Amino acid sequence: MTTFLVAVITAVAALLAVLGIVSTLARRRIGLLHLGVAGLLEGLLLVQAAVAVIAMIGGDTPADTPTFLGYLSGIVLVPVAGGLWARSEQTRWAGTVMAVAAAVVGVMAWRLLQLWEATHA
Amino acid sequence: MRDDRALGAPAVEGGGGNSPGGSGAGRVLVAVYGTFALAAGARAGVQLGTRFHEAPAAYLLSAFAAVVYIVATVGLVRGGRGGRRTALAAISVELVGVLVVGTLSLTDAAAFPDETVWSAFGRGYYFVPLVLPLLGLLLLRRTGQKSPPPKSPPPKSPPPKSP
Repeated sequence: MTTFLVAVITAVAALLAVLGIVSTLARRRIGLLHLGVAGLLEGLLLVQAAVAVIAMIGGDTPADTPTFLGYLSGIVLVPVAGGLWARSEQTRWAGTVMAVAAAVVGVMAWRLLQLWEATHA
Repeated sequence: MRDDRALGAPAVEGGGGNSPGGSGAGRVLVAVYGTFALAAGARAGVQLGTRFHEAPAAYLLSAFAAVVYIVATVGLVRGGRGGRRTALAAISVELVGVLVVGTLSLTDAAAFPDETVWSAFGRGYYFVPLVLPLLGLLLLRRTGQKSPPPKSPPPKSPPPKSP
């Protein structure tokens, strides 16, 4: 769990949100570009989860472990759920669904970092 | 076309049915409601499970808010007369809840020692809990006007042709 990784995740999530909103404004469904960025975001989240789990095995656990684990496992599901939903959406709101998922990831990533740093404060 | 694959094919217009969750914009709102149902539910679960004794009132309120979000989500997804009525009731409770709890948490902070979804009008969640019920009521109104539930079926026999 590093601020750098969370910042990168936020940047990719923000890009995905913008792409989603653009496709809604352009009255288009989502395309491979959106799925690619969502895949990249998912990859980063899995890296983050691995880093956190390795650190926790090493004895570095956050104060509120249940909540932290809830967020850690929840956040990796969001891009997958958002991607599947957006892909099946026929209307121009597909991109907005993708953008909502991206925004949720952005918020959850910072909340995760906050929970993680509660031990080191 | 290559652009369609990369950037997305042109969208289908509308969507439909008389279910509020049937239109495209409605489904976005359902997605947000679903997220809140999950987030509030998970938070309440953790709070009640690990430190109920610290602030029982606040945590029970969290759980209540979670139930309201879940009921609203189900109502919006199901649609129809029953679904709309369920969603309307849940969203109204939600609006009253966020206003009352939001006000009380600011004027009487001692009563709310720990955050709930509705504390300070949902500040912890970027005020989404305050905006969500308004959007929900708007959606219910709009979809209600666009396609009223068919009460009387259209006449089966074709109108007589004029000679």
